[in-house]
Amino acid sequence: MTIAEPVHNQRKYVGTSVRRTEDPRLLAGRGQYIDDLTVPKMIEGAILRSPLAHARITNIDVSRALELPGVFDVITGKDLAAVAGQQPVIWLPIPDQRLAKTHALAVDRVRWVGQAVAAVVAVDRYVAEDALELIEVDYEPLPVVADLEAALAPDAPKLYDDWPDNVSGSHSYKTGDADAAFASADLVVSGSFTHGRAMGCPLEPRGCIVSWDSFSDTLDLWLSTQAPNLARDLLAEVFEVPVSKIRVRTPNLGGGFGNKFDFYGEEIIAAVLSRRTGRPVKIVEDRADSFVATGHSRDQRLDFEMALNNDGTIVGLRGISYGVLGGALSTVGAGPCWASVLTCMGPYKIPNLDVTVKVVMTNRAPYGSYRGWGAPKGNIVHERLIEMAARELGMDRAEIRRKNFPAPEEFPYFSGAAFTFDSGRYADCLDLAMSKVEELGWRERQAKARAEGRSLGIGYSFHIEPSGYGPSRIMNLVGLQHSGFDEATVRMDSVGKVTVYSGQINMGQGTHTTYAQIAADNLGVPMEDVVVVTGDTDSCPYTGYGTGGSRGAPLGGASILRASQRLRGKILRVAAQLLEASPDDLEINDGQISVRGTSSKSVSTRDVGDAAYRRLLDKLPEEEMPTLEEVDVFDPPNMATSYGCTALLVEVDRETGMVSLLDCLQAHDCGTVLNPMLVDGQLAGGLAQALGGALLEELVYDDEAQLKTASFMDYLLPTAMDIPPFQFFHQETPAPDIPGGVKGVGEAGTIAGVSLVASAIDDALSDLGVTVTRFPVTPPRLLDQIREAQSRKEGSA
Amino acid sequence: MEMTFTVNGTQAKVEIDPAETLLGVLRERLRLTGTKEGCNEGECGACTVLVDGLPVDSCIYSAAATGGRRVETVEGLTLDELGRDLQAAFVAAGGVQCGFCTPGFIATLVSVLRENEAPSEDDLRTALAGNICRCTGYSQILDAVAATVSRRNGR
Repeated sequence: MTIAEPVHNQRKYVGTSVRRTEDPRLLAGRGQYIDDLTVPKMIEGAILRSPLAHARITNIDVSRALELPGVFDVITGKDLAAVAGQQPVIWLPIPDQRLAKTHALAVDRVRWVGQAVAAVVAVDRYVAEDALELIEVDYEPLPVVADLEAALAPDAPKLYDDWPDNVSGSHSYKTGDADAAFASADLVVSGSFTHGRAMGCPLEPRGCIVSWDSFSDTLDLWLSTQAPNLARDLLAEVFEVPVSKIRVRTPNLGGGFGNKFDFYGEEIIAAVLSRRTGRPVKIVEDRADSFVATGHSRDQRLDFEMALNNDGTIVGLRGISYGVLGGALSTVGAGPCWASVLTCMGPYKIPNLDVTVKVVMTNRAPYGSYRGWGAPKGNIVHERLIEMAARELGMDRAEIRRKNFPAPEEFPYFSGAAFTFDSGRYADCLDLAMSKVEELGWRERQAKARAEGRSLGIGYSFHIEPSGYGPSRIMNLVGLQHSGFDEATVRMDSVGKVTVYSGQINMGQGTHTTYAQIAADNLGVPMEDVVVVTGDTDSCPYTGYGTGGSRGAPLGGASILRASQRLRGKILRVAAQLLEASPDDLEINDGQISVRGTSSKSVSTRDVGDAAYRRLLDKLPEEEMPTLEEVDVFDPPNMATSYGCTALLVEVDRETGMVSLLDCLQAHDCGTVLNPMLVDGQLAGGLAQALGGALLEELVYDDEAQLKTASFMDYLLPTAMDIPPFQFFHQETPAPDIPGGVKGVGEAGTIAGVSLVASAIDDALSDLGVTVTRFPVTPPRLLDQIREAQSRKEGSA
Repeated sequence: MEMTFTVNGTQAKVEIDPAETLLGVLRERLRLTGTKEGCNEGECGACTVLVDGLPVDSCIYSAAATGGRRVETVEGLTLDELGRDLQAAFVAAGGVQCGFCTPGFIATLVSVLRENEAPSEDDLRTALAGNICRCTGYSQILDAVAATVSRRNGR
């Protein structure tokens, strides 16, 4: 394989706000989402879910359901377990972790409300749902473990009888000597922080259409997934069929946010029903299903303390992060809770660490992926503690942060726990955010409001986003039972047009646009000549992991960049023969190849395509293989760590505990910015989710582990009324280990936004000395804190 | 029962179940799948269509109640001048990400801008309170509307 000379990128498209190629279709309502698809002879399934959080199933009678006209089949856990294995778990970051695995349908015991117990397939969904009501399940209730405290109680009921307790596993990361550092430190600040349960809530619920052709023994799926290649591998594991017999196609996705990364039981149930009935089976969840069947996340308690010297230097961090898992492990197991611990030092140099992750089973729904994964909770630890320390030391919040950043020349910087941060100019980023706060006059607004008796606060959060997950062997080393590389194919056809095939998935980020930008720039062709194809395991290449971990732009982009550069080399070699010139003297612009510096004679990519595919004689160099195609596999040597400093202006109503978000800005560095409009869209969308998570969204369970917030009337998503205006400012420090210099950006906002709200509220209530530690900060919770602080203040006055 | 109504300017006669929702009739009987089901409880606004010019959540709106009335969906609004202006502005401002909520936003916004040629940002935020977007954080959508308003008023 010939490696082309380094290309002097024209960068015609990269770095500009190119309009999205995806939009016209989506705006016209012509997108094809899973529920918009039908396939011939398709029938529809529905799922019976457990009404109890913990019970033994003593009997299931499906006879009346089977008799309902229009019903094709009904299956229970026993039927399913006879033909399918347990749901796979790919993240095993905790050594010797006890694995709570389960089948797609409960076999003899249910461990959360909403666990799938039986499934019906019928002529349509209405009949299938009617049939669900005819299934009789006898449950023998078991004592319920509703929350973390109940799970850890000495006499707690056990979810798994053969375990000694409800703890699935625990693992510590230690660097230096934390105990000695704490013993000799001038100041120790500590907090117990909790983040309630939340979920991604993509506006489109999950779904699948599965056809099992029993003659060829092939499995054909339409699946609303962020990870079609992973789904294909896991389907092969569960059914013990060759991967080659499985095809997974992904239609348009109505948002993913990690919720559609995980591999769910419904795809297995639909496959079994299809195999039994010989018909394609569609199962699409409705919102009520989604609230109990799609991955929950965030649920963690983090008890941490930070040791500092009087000058503000952090000398140690220690603590434990409890992950409140559900009744069984999801695809990602303890992964997100583990990642909180790996990011809890944040952007700060902390020489002595002793940090532990402990994951505990409860009778709640399984804990899965949600944008940001563990990092938003890691961010709460370092950002809350450093602000508490600043207050104790009487230091400025920016000054104490600046004091503890690694300097740009200290990168690559080992964090002390697994991750090495690749590059950064943290202090510059902080200064950029602070200067914008000054320019926008927030301080004056705050002072003026305070003079009027209103409580305005300015909050800050500095975040890191380990992105581009990740070097395959390192991912394996830390417990991922899967890879992290990315593969792309870039092909020019016989008329000189380009098709890019990627294993990444477009769930709203504009992947097709950014990939076309990269290919067009690196090939030297117009963007209109590039088509991007994703979402089909038969035609698209493999990608390790899937579209998660902020991989799409850095890794998907890098493999397309490298394949395009090599293909460009071949295009120039063919053109050289046509032009009777040396390839080294040629340049390609807008699809026209000519001798550099002259405009007299040129050939087009169409001529090159013709020479490589059709009329080769005297045109294609003898040593060249016909066709124009390059494949690239990129396995990054390191992850790429994005970062940012976010600032928020809020107003707190001391009478009601209501928090209004007035303005928000973020200074951000994701390396090379491919498309500013799309990057800003990622940042804004992520921030909106975090602001919702900080103030509104919570999956509340009662003492019987019944979910009390299973609709949008009770689980409050932020609307246009709640979200402030956003402004974004970029600095570009190219990722040193990623060709193209791109760092991921998909999760930035979700990481930064939660501690940010707490910082702003604390500032608004600084006279009362309130410290927010529990999320979401709902009005009743904040009001309690305000009243308690007020009475404390009055008591001491 | 049989029902006759106007959909995107064309008369449609459909056999419906009296309990059926407008969303069900549009998506399943007429295959107008541009309108989406996000929650099926009238909370998210993905299913917003216009009935006699006013936005409704079609997932909780009785199909039978639309008999003789005028329904506009995203498929029709794509042919409407104001709808097209809004769509172009969404493209220019980055107002679309996954696109699932977008047809509902377009429907609500067409209705708002037909009534009021120059709404304030507060008016718009209030008008959009029934349309949830989980991707964009709303700011680029509001930019798109602002651009549409100034473009139309500059004509």
